[in-house]
Amino acid sequence: MKPLNPIVLSALGAGLCAFAPSAFATQYLTVEQAQQVIFPEASSFKLATLQLTLAQMQQVATLAGLPARSVAWRVIAAYQGEQLLGHIVLDEVIGKFELISYAVGLQADATVRQIEILNYRESHGFEIKNANWRKQFSGKNASAGLNIGQGIANISGATLSCTHVTDGVRRIAAIAQVALRK
Amino acid sequence: MKKTLLTQALCASVLIGAIAAPVHAGEAELMQKIEKLAAELDAIKAELAANRKKTESVAQKQEVLAISVASNTASSAAANSVANSPMQSSPQTVISSYGEISYTRPRNASNETQADVGRAVLGIAHRFDEKNKVVAEFEWEHAVTSKDDNGEAAVEQLYVEHELDHGLRAKGGLFLMPVGMLNTSHEPTAFFGVHRNFVETAIIPTTWREVGFALSGAHDNGISWDAGVTTGFDLSKWDAASGDGAESPLGSIHQEGQLAKSHDLAVHAAVNWRGVPGLLLGGAVFSGKAGQASTDFSGNAARVTLWDLHARYTPGDFDLSALYSRASISNTEALNLTFAGQPSPVPSSFYGWYLQGAYKLWSNKNYSLTPFVRYEQFNTAARYSAMPQGLGVPVAPAEKVQTFGANFRLGEGVVLKADLQKFKQNSANDRFNLGVGYSF
Repeated sequence: MKPLNPIVLSALGAGLCAFAPSAFATQYLTVEQAQQVIFPEASSFKLATLQLTLAQMQQVATLAGLPARSVAWRVIAAYQGEQLLGHIVLDEVIGKFELISYAVGLQADATVRQIEILNYRESHGFEIKNANWRKQFSGKNASAGLNIGQGIANISGATLSCTHVTDGVRRIAAIAQVALRK
Repeated sequence: MKKTLLTQALCASVLIGAIAAPVHAGEAELMQKIEKLAAELDAIKAELAANRKKTESVAQKQEVLAISVASNTASSAAANSVANSPMQSSPQTVISSYGEISYTRPRNASNETQADVGRAVLGIAHRFDEKNKVVAEFEWEHAVTSKDDNGEAAVEQLYVEHELDHGLRAKGGLFLMPVGMLNTSHEPTAFFGVHRNFVETAIIPTTWREVGFALSGAHDNGISWDAGVTTGFDLSKWDAASGDGAESPLGSIHQEGQLAKSHDLAVHAAVNWRGVPGLLLGGAVFSGKAGQASTDFSGNAARVTLWDLHARYTPGDFDLSALYSRASISNTEALNLTFAGQPSPVPSSFYGWYLQGAYKLWSNKNYSLTPFVRYEQFNTAARYSAMPQGLGVPVAPAEKVQTFGANFRLGEGVVLKADLQKFKQNSANDRFNLGVGYSF
């Protein structure tokens, strides 16, 4: 199996246990469910922590137009047999007041495959879960089309939630381009 | 420190060695010995340095491992969450605020030019657990509130929300009515123009809140809905002698949770559809009797009904919206007879609509400039119930207002605004406005 070169494969067992199905009333998808929805053809998934170098963080900031925010990112690599299909990056952003947990599925070439909302806690703005809104991200990469008003339509009444998720996806697409692209 | 000790020990041994050397030993032999020891000392020094480097590298690795283990431990502890890095955990208590300060200069009456701290609002939302939270918002209007000032302090929202199921929530307390587009999204960063539009001020009395219970649901197909039972209006507050009712009929009889008369409860329902990215279509209806069984009051049979239809479309840099709202107050004949001769009897019908278009003309990373134009028409007294000959008040013509302006955004939370408003019926109201607002 091809190792994930920039990824520090650490504490895999403990990490996977941490993503056991949730009892959250507000949780729409567990990470396992999101894996299956994003990469239904995958035969195995491997969780790892991606550690960005300073240079990579600077590249991400330039590409995304946003600070890279964190050195460590949780990444799940999806495989079909020995072949790497792509990655899922797990992240959270503040919507208006509360956290939105989401997963970004990326092709091996760092284009966005699919995004899934795992957890949404705000009183308004559930519409970011809407499949048609999420579909707008598919096939795009960090270079273009991942901005509100430029590729991603705003959701009236949920402007902050959709802006922050869109920014988050753009950052992750940039991380994928810099550190995960094969 | 170890290195220093070792060096001292070696120096001592060199000295001891030198002293212990036989007195008869030649100088050259002594020098040889010293050189040999010095060479050994250098070798030990080098070895020490190499060991030190190794130790540092191991320590660094251990630190990285410790961070990784800690973060994985944290995620195990929060086994139900995917909250583990990069964002850590959800804040339990969130403080929010918004405010707006305006400068308004009437075109033909510069002596009435005003600057006003229109609103200063502080909010606290606290999540008790995954299912329960409380939302509170406290508002000051017009800067100073006292016996001799015109300001107002109010609780704008105070409700608890309980999640029943995915996207299905119940709330109870004082909450905003889901009518129109502005009422539930009224922060200065969320609308165009220095002042809120007239339709959603004069017809829909933004910021309109009631005390009661409501359910909200959201579905994957883009439909969301609200339905509830709340307090309603108190028609016994109607002041036919003042212009308040003509300015905003429902704004003059709202109760806002202030010792609200609750004999007559009201119902409301709203549906919104956001199934196509960038498009919102929705409508809402509210209805409730407004007499509140008041003693010696001839308007106890009156019913207030308000509905609206709204649409907003935001393709690319455009922001287009339209809203129509109409309200009625039924069974006002007997009440209006008691108001005979006064300038503002209770209207039986009032309405308003607007069209608005905005375009983000320029933006960079931190700023954006969005000019907009809005045309609105509203009539706060479009009809009165029939009155005996000579006692009625003529129906007022609809006012038509054009607003031209721009919002200049500084980042996400600050907006500077400027606009010009032209009134068709009463051009004395024409005015120029400047404003600054923020929201977080």
